[in-house]
Amino acid sequence: METTSPTPQLSTAARIAAPFRAIYDYFSGDARHYQVLFLLTFLLFGIFTLNWDMSLLRFNVTLLTCLAVQAVGIHFTTKDYSGLKSALISAFSLCLMLQANSLWTVVLAAVLSIGSKFLIRWKNKHIFNPTNFGIIVTILITRLFVEGGDAWVSPGQWGSNALLFFMVGAAGLIVLLRVKRLGTAIAFIVTFLGLTFARNILYLGWPVDHFQQTLTTGSLLLFTFFMITDPVATPSNAKARIIWAAMVGALAWYLSTKLWVHTAPLWALFFLSPLTPLFDRFMPGERFQWTKPELAK
Amino acid sequence: MNRHIITLFSGLLLSTASFAFCGFYVAKADVKLFNKTSQVILVRDGEKSVITMSSDFQGEVKDFAMVVPVPEVLKQDNIHVVERLLFDKLDAYSAPRLVEYYDEDPCYEPPRDYYLYDRMDMPMAGAAMERAESVNSVNYQVKVEAKYVVGEYDILILSAKESSGLERWLIDNGYKIPTGAKEVLDPYIKSNLKFFVVKVNLEEHKKLGKQELSPIQIKFNSPKFMLPIRLGMANASGPQDMIVYAFTKNGRVEVTNYRTVEAPTGQNVPLFVQQKFGEFYKDVYTRTWKREGKSVAILEYAWDVSGFVNQFCDPCVGPPPMLQDFANAGVDWVQEYHGGYQGNVFFTRMHVTYDRTTFPQDLMFQETPNKQQYQARYVITHPAASTFSCDKANAYLADLQKRRQKELNNMVSLAGWDAMKHASYPSEYNKYIKKSKSGSGKKQGGFFSWSSGTNGGQQLPVMLLSVLSLSLVFFALTRRPLKRS
Repeated sequence: METTSPTPQLSTAARIAAPFRAIYDYFSGDARHYQVLFLLTFLLFGIFTLNWDMSLLRFNVTLLTCLAVQAVGIHFTTKDYSGLKSALISAFSLCLMLQANSLWTVVLAAVLSIGSKFLIRWKNKHIFNPTNFGIIVTILITRLFVEGGDAWVSPGQWGSNALLFFMVGAAGLIVLLRVKRLGTAIAFIVTFLGLTFARNILYLGWPVDHFQQTLTTGSLLLFTFFMITDPVATPSNAKARIIWAAMVGALAWYLSTKLWVHTAPLWALFFLSPLTPLFDRFMPGERFQWTKPELAK
Repeated sequence: MNRHIITLFSGLLLSTASFAFCGFYVAKADVKLFNKTSQVILVRDGEKSVITMSSDFQGEVKDFAMVVPVPEVLKQDNIHVVERLLFDKLDAYSAPRLVEYYDEDPCYEPPRDYYLYDRMDMPMAGAAMERAESVNSVNYQVKVEAKYVVGEYDILILSAKESSGLERWLIDNGYKIPTGAKEVLDPYIKSNLKFFVVKVNLEEHKKLGKQELSPIQIKFNSPKFMLPIRLGMANASGPQDMIVYAFTKNGRVEVTNYRTVEAPTGQNVPLFVQQKFGEFYKDVYTRTWKREGKSVAILEYAWDVSGFVNQFCDPCVGPPPMLQDFANAGVDWVQEYHGGYQGNVFFTRMHVTYDRTTFPQDLMFQETPNKQQYQARYVITHPAASTFSCDKANAYLADLQKRRQKELNNMVSLAGWDAMKHASYPSEYNKYIKKSKSGSGKKQGGFFSWSSGTNGGQQLPVMLLSVLSLSLVFFALTRRPLKRS
């Protein structure tokens, strides 16, 4: 007969640490938690250090609309309300990137972002990165109603500096390693910056700090580490993702250099997102899950 | 009786103020507040650009020369000279301003508020380049694409095949290009830019009889909305300043490859700033520029000046642009209408201080739909002219001291001036405080108008909304995923 060893008494330190440990385990079980934390940090950094003029009302409207639309969508589909976390990410990203004059435009952007996740799908996977879709389509739609439109993106709102580079890079790395999408980010940024370097420094002959300025631009880094790396709205096969991300990088370079589009990466991602189903068809891969089933308690 | 005299006197002051603002320039006393400041008017409509450049060249006219990269060979009717007055007008209209309020007398029925304005004058200086006789030579690989005489200027448009040839041509023709400029000639040539080269035609200059050199205006089509500041960067003598006045159809212009930040605005400052407002704003600007990392454009004014607008400024420091000004600046989508004009126009004023290290790239702009209005405005408030002989006076005086202390603090944080020099400023009016018999020292709310408006009515609902949002965020984060069977 086996003797059962007596349950060891937890030390005081372990007992105090236990709830924190539990919170940490829960927190680190879903990469979206990290993303929400980092995006919120960037938002606070922008508001308090860069002195952005951001209205609390706009922030609330974005957040509440995103959550509401997501909740409605979940109710009619999976009934799994942990999907609200994705809505949080979309809301924070919209606040970080999209500017608008009118609150209605903000509402429109939120509805389009979350709505696209539920309505524009192929084989049970949404095609567009929600924030990207929301931003681009809102910009286009408002142009139909108001001359010049009502929504815009300010690529210069972050500036360019090394601190930003390390902050966004580090935060991005933490998230990307968890969701195994570092390859996407690298493929995009290497293609985009490589072409930029080749043209601006090697061919045109600008001095190197001209390139450094582009390299450390906050909006580019945010896009690279937090937008194009959306684990769901990208090809499922790893090799396919690298090819696709490189294509986005090349198109973004072309748009910014030849057509002088300031927010080129956003447009490039928008135009190439419909290719994702094509890649999935010919180079299939495992579909991404935010939380592994065995981790769900 | 006293009150009526004040009313009349201040009324006179007001009327002279609105028509003789020239007399209230504090900054006119010091000639060059910002060194080497050039001014540029940028008009952008789709792909059409009109750029008007004003350089306050101080030397001999025969020594004047200017080189500007342009995207195409400009035709003669796309090159004009304009009056310098246009720049002065736009500067006066949009310069950072100091406004003046008067406290209401806590003991009497309040009279009207009065507003007196002061403004910053920003004269400019341009980089000087010498010129000699022109030398024609084919082996520079420089082609003179066009040659015009416009106003008092001789204009050449050059295309070059490579930078050393162009450099030699410019030097041999007496254009001393700054050292920093050499490294940008190559990228400009490879980007297929032409070079718009200007010098003064001495005959025409004498014929026209102008005292100062006229600003030059060029029109062209280009998908690029930018200012090639890299060519103008002199190396040794420190940063250069540039004021950009932008006119667009729909909204604010901002820089896309550098941050655009707003100059601090709306803060109360001590009364004595009025005498030194130019110096004050210069220090405010410099501190802001340094604090924000120097690689920034600073927004000083943004306003909707469309034809249908009621208010072109608030307060008005100088007259707003009129139909003729728009025509002179190159805003060609505005038409005459019932004595005024019609058309959508948005005006943005940006101030950039740049040098080689802080601005490695040329300035790239975009027009945004942002119609939010903005002005760099600082406020002085005169204490009430009162005998302070009523019960409410003590509370007012206590608040006055607090407010004056705050004004002093603002001055320190905005301009970095020394508060110790004005240590007695907050308590200047304390001599009027009467010792009350009850000795309660009860402080009540002030009776005077604060300059910053509070939208207190909106605060509570937004706060409640924020609480709701916060709780929903927490709710969302704590949703565990459903078990998948």
